[in-house]
Amino acid sequence: MRYGGDNRGRLLIIVLLVTTLFLITLDLRGVQVIDGLRTGTQTALTPVQKFGSWVVSPFRNFLSDVTHLGRTHNQLEKLKAENEKLRLTLQNREVADAQLKQLKSVLDLAGTAGYKVVNAKVISQGSSTSFTQTITIDAGTSSGIHTNMTVLSGYGLVGVVKLAYADSSLVQLASDPAFRIGARIAGTQQIGILSGQGTRKGVLQLLDNTTTVHKGDAILARGSDNGRPFVPGVPIGEVTGVDNSPGAVTQTADVKFYSNFSTLGVVAVVVSDTAADPRDALVPPKPHPTPIPTVTVYATPGAVSPSPTATK
Amino acid sequence: MSLRSFLLSSPLFVGVFLFQEAFITQMRLPAGGFNLLLIVALIWAALSTPEIGALTGFGAGIGMDLSQTSPGPLGHWTLVMIIACYAVAFLGYGDDNIRGNPINIVFLTTVGVVGSQAVFLLLGLMLGQQIGSIGNIIFVLAGSAFWTAIISPLILKVVSYLHSNIFGTRSAL
Repeated sequence: MRYGGDNRGRLLIIVLLVTTLFLITLDLRGVQVIDGLRTGTQTALTPVQKFGSWVVSPFRNFLSDVTHLGRTHNQLEKLKAENEKLRLTLQNREVADAQLKQLKSVLDLAGTAGYKVVNAKVISQGSSTSFTQTITIDAGTSSGIHTNMTVLSGYGLVGVVKLAYADSSLVQLASDPAFRIGARIAGTQQIGILSGQGTRKGVLQLLDNTTTVHKGDAILARGSDNGRPFVPGVPIGEVTGVDNSPGAVTQTADVKFYSNFSTLGVVAVVVSDTAADPRDALVPPKPHPTPIPTVTVYATPGAVSPSPTATK
Repeated sequence: MSLRSFLLSSPLFVGVFLFQEAFITQMRLPAGGFNLLLIVALIWAALSTPEIGALTGFGAGIGMDLSQTSPGPLGHWTLVMIIACYAVAFLGYGDDNIRGNPINIVFLTTVGVVGSQAVFLLLGLMLGQQIGSIGNIIFVLAGSAFWTAIISPLILKVVSYLHSNIFGTRSAL
């Protein structure tokens, strides 16, 4: 039998829909209670997320390697268990080493520019089912972090602090579709607006149509008033493609972000920027090809033993 | 739905919400991952009457709205979830061909997940949110469908068991 519904059921659905529309209206009007609900939830969730991060991070790497094969002897099982324990320890060490490497590179970048930074670990990555790109870090207002602060990795821009709680902060990644940043091309100093596209590539829209942009050009942050939300000079990415449509009002270019957002472990939040703009000092050096030595052997008829000659 | 049933089902959804926020978001799964609360709510709705489905959608939607990763205003996901859960419950209610067959429930849930995300996107557009490139949207929707089709058969038995116990129905899937 098909459902026909009754008055009570209809009334319930109407009440639920009206309540929801009421909530949306209150939130869009900026009622404090609604904001407090989310802040309270996040404050309560932070310890749970930290625990989750602690539990999941070793297993995330380790479980993929564990295979269950055949029947084994007791001694073999014991040795396997011991081996797994050692591997887990080693993998934990590798995780720590990787985080240390990321921390070193981010401190190098911040040190070159003279930024004062607060380092933080990434404790959660937002689900993309809501079409947003965010991460949660384990430092908040108690560490001096506030909203609209620039977040860096060792390679460059990661995003901006969107919400700051007591012990954690929500960071909007540069890949988020709602992300916008004033950018300039290193060297030529031409300016434009870079927007996230939900992937590791962003789109740079230049403000001047006569500007020429080339593949491989480095893109830097232009900076905001008082360094918030963006400090100047932070490397953002590299131009990978240019749209030179003849009828286009503005020129656009595809930009690949320097930071790999899926492997972020440690990031730094710029809590105060340098007095002077670092200009192009933070542009990553272009890789130089290493010459490969080749060995040529000349065989001379009648000679006793051929002598190899190394050339470059 | 009696008050007892409502009180009994609330901790389940709170638990799923905590699990989602604490563990699943840490996994960094490929293709955008999945939202367990969304999947559980839709399965729950598929096994319930339309009124209970709508109420389930309301509760789950509030939870999803309270998540820090939700970009819209509070009530955005709630509105979507009420509609999605009501629709799923309405389609399944009184039709044993749908409700009695796990494959149909998995199919209904998968369609429900993709549909609710599409409605969420449309509502977001109307509220002035940025949605990114079409390619990314298609990728996320396809990823959600993929993960839902994998996860929902794994949890269907447990959800069905809990549902039958809480609502006192005689049979479970």
